[in-house]
Amino acid sequence: MKTRNVTPALFLLGIVLIPILCIAGDSTMDPFEELAPPDIVPGLEELAFLGLETLDEPFLVAITNIPVQPDTPEEEPLEFIADPLEPINRAFFQFNDRLYFWVLRPVASGYRAVIPQDLRVGVRNFFSNLTTPIRLVSCLLQANFKGAGTETARFLMNSTFGLAGFLDPAKTEFRLQRKEEDLGQTFGVYGLGPVLYLNWPILGPSSLRDTLGYIGDLFLDPQTYLISSYPVNLGVRSYYIINETSLTIGDYEDLKESALDPYTALKDIYHQYRQNKIKER
Amino acid sequence: MRFHSTVRGFSIFLLVLGISALVWAAEPTDRIKQTTDKILSIVANPQLKDPSKAPERRRLIRSAVDERFDWEEMARRSLAQFWAKRTPEEKKEFIELYSDLLERTYMSKVEDYSGENVLYERETIDGDYAVVKVKFVTGKNKDIPVDYRLRKKGENWLVYDVSIEGVSLVNNYRRQFGSIITQFSYENLVKKLKEKAEEK
Repeated sequence: MKTRNVTPALFLLGIVLIPILCIAGDSTMDPFEELAPPDIVPGLEELAFLGLETLDEPFLVAITNIPVQPDTPEEEPLEFIADPLEPINRAFFQFNDRLYFWVLRPVASGYRAVIPQDLRVGVRNFFSNLTTPIRLVSCLLQANFKGAGTETARFLMNSTFGLAGFLDPAKTEFRLQRKEEDLGQTFGVYGLGPVLYLNWPILGPSSLRDTLGYIGDLFLDPQTYLISSYPVNLGVRSYYIINETSLTIGDYEDLKESALDPYTALKDIYHQYRQNKIKER
Repeated sequence: MRFHSTVRGFSIFLLVLGISALVWAAEPTDRIKQTTDKILSIVANPQLKDPSKAPERRRLIRSAVDERFDWEEMARRSLAQFWAKRTPEEKKEFIELYSDLLERTYMSKVEDYSGENVLYERETIDGDYAVVKVKFVTGKNKDIPVDYRLRKKGENWLVYDVSIEGVSLVNNYRRQFGSIITQFSYENLVKKLKEKAEEK
């Protein structure tokens, strides 16, 4: 007796149920509640002098929830990410540097010369559409129902009108922006710090928390299940890296040019970027 | 009759107050727009397109940026706890080296500008400080959010930090400079800055 593989069916069922649940969930949410949970937005204490003691004045909080950060006293130590493995990280940084200039950039440049930008952006959109479950699950785990609803709507729209995800009509026609979420950010929202900095070969900057998140995301990534053979999976991921590189040639060179110490610059950029993404939910 | 004119007078007074409040509230964003528009017109100017005109174009862009950016404030925040110990000459030298480093970095980006859309999204004012949120819309389906942090100096609003996708420029350099000073020395930092200037 042939056993049916129920995974795709469950997946589809989930896709149908989730927008229904999210719409139901969303209508009971206070529209401003999502904007400034008091323990996550820094600088809210500084606004107390304006009389904003609590969230009872949602309107004022909504327009002032950007921390204005009047004066960072020079003596105040800057929040930093621990880097006990710095020698190894620096070695991998050098490796990635060589990899970029000797392999990635030449291949991506050749690819870029042949394939027009619109197609390459289409490929980016296609992969992004495929990885919707990662963002969807992370939104749900962070109780961001609006974001989960947005991602579901985007997936449905882009998969149908958007030529299986190559186009992004959800963004261009309906102004639904992608919610960039992942498990690493989810752990961050739960209160887990980055722990320490890890600079992986090929994959690049990460942290202990974000690496664990990345591994978890692999289980949520449909590509892991859709592609049965391991070499093909690697091939697909490599193609994704080449496509992305072709769209971002010049960024790494700019970093090296503007920085006195590119390794530290990249580490700090990564750290600030992730902190910001966690804060903005 | 008298009542009518009082009401009219009062409503005109309110209207004027309302308009001036609007103008006042939009000031930091206006200043950013002014500078951005000025730079865009320089870049788009056909008379300056010729490569031989490059130095003049750079000079014009630099002077437009100088009007809006508070280099001293940025340098002070980037050196952080190491600023106080510097002599006035060292401070002056550092401000010059730092602003030149930033100029070299952004100049090539500005000149490559291909007219991406700039959306002025939001503005927050808190006394003498303001944040202007801008979004640069590129053609690659990636939007770049940029925050300008400004401080009021006299009648003018000056930028003291730029955050791209949440990464603060000043904090990033603060991290780099701090790492170099603690590992080596301030003199080593100045040496590195000068070497960087020679590279170009």
